[in-house]
Amino acid sequence: MIRFLIAAALILAAFTITVTDAAAEKVFRRANDLSYGGKESLDPISANRFYEVNDMLYSRLVRQDDNGEPAPELATAWTSNATATEWTITLQSGVTFHDGSAFDAADVKYTLERIKDPALESPLASVLDFIDRVDVVDPATARIMLSKPHAGLPLLLMDYRARMIPEGSGANISKTGIGTGPFKIESYDPEGQTVLAANDAYWEGRPKLDKVVFTAIPDSEARNQAMLAGQLNYNTLTLDQISQYKDNSAFSVQNYPAGGWFGLVFRTDTAPFTDARVRKAMRIPVDRTEMLKLMVGEGNGVTGCDQPVKANDPFRAPLECPPDAEGAKKLLAEAGYPNGIDIEVHTADLEPGMVQFAEVYQQQVAKAGIRVKLTLAPSDGYWDDVWMKVPAAITSWSARPADQILNEAYRTGSAWNESYYSNPAYDQILDKARATLDFTAARALYQDAQRILFEEGGTFIPYQQNGLRVLTADVQGVKPLDEDYIRWHLVDLIPK
Amino acid sequence: MKSGFATLSAMLRQRSGAVGIVLVIVHLLIALLAPIIIPHDAVAQDAAAILEPPSFAHLFGTDRLGRDIFSRTLLGGREAIVISTLSTICAMVWGCLLGIILALAGGRLDACVMRVIDAMVAIPWILLVMLFVAALGSSTVALIPLLGFSYGLSVIYLARSAALDFVARDFVLAAQVRGESRWTIAVTELLPNIRDSLAVQGAMQWSWIFLAVSSLSFLGMGVAPPTPDWGQMISDARGIMRSAPWAVVWPMVFLSSLIIGVNLSVDAWAKVLSIGQLGRIPQP
Repeated sequence: MIRFLIAAALILAAFTITVTDAAAEKVFRRANDLSYGGKESLDPISANRFYEVNDMLYSRLVRQDDNGEPAPELATAWTSNATATEWTITLQSGVTFHDGSAFDAADVKYTLERIKDPALESPLASVLDFIDRVDVVDPATARIMLSKPHAGLPLLLMDYRARMIPEGSGANISKTGIGTGPFKIESYDPEGQTVLAANDAYWEGRPKLDKVVFTAIPDSEARNQAMLAGQLNYNTLTLDQISQYKDNSAFSVQNYPAGGWFGLVFRTDTAPFTDARVRKAMRIPVDRTEMLKLMVGEGNGVTGCDQPVKANDPFRAPLECPPDAEGAKKLLAEAGYPNGIDIEVHTADLEPGMVQFAEVYQQQVAKAGIRVKLTLAPSDGYWDDVWMKVPAAITSWSARPADQILNEAYRTGSAWNESYYSNPAYDQILDKARATLDFTAARALYQDAQRILFEEGGTFIPYQQNGLRVLTADVQGVKPLDEDYIRWHLVDLIPK
Repeated sequence: MKSGFATLSAMLRQRSGAVGIVLVIVHLLIALLAPIIIPHDAVAQDAAAILEPPSFAHLFGTDRLGRDIFSRTLLGGREAIVISTLSTICAMVWGCLLGIILALAGGRLDACVMRVIDAMVAIPWILLVMLFVAALGSSTVALIPLLGFSYGLSVIYLARSAALDFVARDFVLAAQVRGESRWTIAVTELLPNIRDSLAVQGAMQWSWIFLAVSSLSFLGMGVAPPTPDWGQMISDARGIMRSAPWAVVWPMVFLSSLIIGVNLSVDAWAKVLSIGQLGRIPQP
């Protein structure tokens, strides 16, 4: 009996020690929605970029401050010449990569020039391909030479993918994840668990968390249940899920102006959407105010007229588009569909609300004689296998500056030109806008581009919505801002 | 062999049988009359009435797109009932015929075909159906033969073993001596003798197929929106079970009461016909 008691006491002691150790280590848990089906890449500029992880592994030259304005990160200062064709960037000193090598201007040159590599087919190329070359002035100074003037370069360098990697590391960056960010890769398994460990040598100070673990959970409801069960510290939410967390002191919910959107993309290169009249007819019957209310609730977003530009962007076009079912019928009749049209729309239960969005659209356009067949595709691999493959599919974007999104998603030949839209006049307007240094004149051009998209584009964007996320109550330092604004080295777990 | 009426009254005399039959009849009436009796348009969305709890205006409340759950629930079984019934007919026809023919043929043909069937039964039906749905796309027309095929596999076992009981009997031997074809023997000599147990099995199959259709709709591979369907409604509302339980409870109650009703009726029927061992044959 005594032997048994001693054994029991020893086991208990060992267990207590283990528990104490685990409590001492601050592990932050998140989910990977597996939307690239396990092909999530640590290469920040890959089309399959694992951006939630990459945000923590790598740094940008320029980041956003809390108001979305350019703020120093690896660049401490930036100035342009009078015509905005040359930008001189001064770099932060004493920064090292995870492998111990020093960060300098040669890495900036390598990273920025690599974006244009046609073999990589990076979606970022359409945003930054006007960078002709980068000159290394000295280790702490780089000069970016543009092929066309661009007054807004710092805004574009804030892109969540424009992250610095070591010179010559392109061949294996997708596996190594070596950057200058607050966390480094400990193990990489997008279909299982990806574990990040604190970078003790991080130049802004050691992160407060010890580890960040990303677990693959493809189903949005399963993620929600994992959050409710305390297995995650961070998750995104839909409006109707808020009530599950509202009166629970174990969680805090953040509702923040984000400007991301769900859209419905019609491939402009595929019949019947090759006809601009059909495309417009697909978009104009919808009561966007009603749709906003049904999807996210009044006051949790801003309606728009298919502009991909968020409401508080200075370049957003002020468009009006009241529901017009009769107009849509007329356009369809002109295009050869006097008795309405049957279309198939693909969606997936990938991000919360994506299926609902398709259902609301289906009901909204029925009055214009548009009969929608909904097809639910598997969530894993949706972005690889369905989006940009089928003629009509639901899409989801996070907010980007006007110039960036108008180029990235609509310019002829862009990697993420999801509607395969091609209009030389539209491309020329964007070129002209980039070269225009006068704000009012540039704004007029960007607004013209958005008007063209409303008239003949292939993407239906009824509203931009607020972001909703839930955190466990012990999470500190995550501000109610978009994902790529979060300063991960400041995030902490402090039990209440 | 009892007459239909005698069987029914014998079933009703059992308490569970009576409950089952009443449930089935109520469900059939609802399915038939739903389009006339629903108070609201079942697909109309209303942003002003999202997730409203049950009230006089909306007896079962509204879902997250403001649709009337009462109307949707009443309509929610129709499509699945039609699909299940047609699939059951498919399953019974091909399963019975192949089973009886194999029992008659015996020998190497029987052994070979049955091993193939064994192998196919080993594959979970849902994998098989999902594979086909992924390849062919989901449509009611495609689902019926698919489900009929997968569920017919288990019917083969029953039809074959029931027929084997009779194959060695004198009247079958006599028919063989007369020179009747296998087909004639199967249809005129064997089928009438195993009809009762096959009919009971068919009714049981129906409830399994109904559950299968609902499961597929739950997974987004069955009845497509906006047509209301119980499986789909449960799937839609499963995330808001705590905050809006009415959105998920009613389709669940209707779905399970129909299945329970069919099962109770079938059990009672089997007792009346003195058929045992229901559900002991391998199910896909």
